[in-house]
Amino acid sequence: MSLMTMILKMSEGLGKTCAIFFLTLLFSLPLGMIVALLRMSKNKVVSSVTRFIISVLRGTPLMLQLLAVTYGPYYLFGSNVARNKLIPVVIAFAINYAAYFAEIYRGGIESISVGQYEAAEVLGYSKFQTFMRIILPQVVKRIMPSVTNEVVTLVKDTSMAFTVSYTEMFTIGKQIANSETSFLPFIVAGVFYYVFNAIVDYVMGRIEKKLDYYR
Amino acid sequence: MKKILCLVLALVMITALCACGKPAEKKKFIMGIDPEYPPFSYLGEDGKYSGFDVEVCQAACDKLGWEMEIFSVNWDEKLVQLSSKECDCVWSGMTIRDSMYKEGYVISKPYFYNTQVLMVKADSGYRSAADLAGKVVAVQLGTSGEALLQEDLADLASSFESVMTCDSFLKCFTELAGNAADAVFVDLPVASAYAAEHEGYLIINEELGAEQYGIAFRPGDTELCASIEGAVAELVKDGTYAKIAEKYPDIIDNLIFLNS
Repeated sequence: MSLMTMILKMSEGLGKTCAIFFLTLLFSLPLGMIVALLRMSKNKVVSSVTRFIISVLRGTPLMLQLLAVTYGPYYLFGSNVARNKLIPVVIAFAINYAAYFAEIYRGGIESISVGQYEAAEVLGYSKFQTFMRIILPQVVKRIMPSVTNEVVTLVKDTSMAFTVSYTEMFTIGKQIANSETSFLPFIVAGVFYYVFNAIVDYVMGRIEKKLDYYR
Repeated sequence: MKKILCLVLALVMITALCACGKPAEKKKFIMGIDPEYPPFSYLGEDGKYSGFDVEVCQAACDKLGWEMEIFSVNWDEKLVQLSSKECDCVWSGMTIRDSMYKEGYVISKPYFYNTQVLMVKADSGYRSAADLAGKVVAVQLGTSGEALLQEDLADLASSFESVMTCDSFLKCFTELAGNAADAVFVDLPVASAYAAEHEGYLIINEELGAEQYGIAFRPGDTELCASIEGAVAELVKDGTYAKIAEKYPDIIDNLIFLNS
């Protein structure tokens, strides 16, 4: 197999890798905010339950969570395993990443000084307005570097979807490596991931720059 | 700085000297297995690796006076792991493929006749490979079955809706059990062992690829291969081999040494 056909075959799987990536971000970024707000809730029960869930999600391997979401329902209730593996894969990834994003958001929100809340109250802002117009824009600015970190990790983590038989780019690479007994597909995969992340890095850098007002 | 370096070097030399004095240790033989490949090699109920291949290897090592160690390989990288000396052989229901000879690996005499079969759910109504047109077939990555579907049986594979590659056979079977796959393409002994243990499965009576199992050694390890082959031959002669085989009724009919 020539290098060109190898690259072509692997880029077929790149679409599936991108599907995991974009769908995970689409669901986990907002979900993370909800989890962060629950985590900071004044209600002790809500905040400690959320805290426990986050600790489980961060404290167990993502691979295990993938297996649990995909095959768990079958082993527990005898229900069917999903034919379209993208669904359980995205559910597992979105939940896992939401836990990480939630803690990043929380860190950002808690870093804003109390004085700003007090000032907003004096100026007659409602709680919701204060959060949306004053706190959130500053939080977004502050947490961008940490979010970029997670997003870059996500690109590489997509390769874990292989454990539940989802044929993304790295799986195809492994198949070729096996049938050709060659190491080349792994190098191609490495280049693919690197380029993907270089783009992510560039885009996130641009966003960070855009948000870099007041300074 | 220099003094510390001197001291460290001196220590290293002393330990090196101490090592000289010790008597020659027992030769260690590291067996590479796929731990999810019953009945040839699997994690037994007692938490120890077991299976036909493991027992034969243990008996052969006992005969040679070697110490056996088990290394579980990543099946789709088994030859790479063998080359990088993580194990001394791959001995785990491994199908001999021409490409292995081409790359210079030393392969033992074949010890098992194998065929690839399709396994389906008994209530599914599929009774031939042709019935599976437009269906999903699961196969383990890195097995000869997967290679067959890519090469010799590519036409059959293209009649399927898709070929699902899993990283272990147990996952293939879970996909089948959970209706995510309609059939599993698998080596006959594995299929029969699974069907014997779980109800409601059926092996389609079509032999799709005839193959043989052997043991793979690193290129140049002809001597090692010969010692193992010799030890196994003795086991066959003194009946130990047959005794081990009796514990695995699913595969006994296809063992070359017992049926020639």
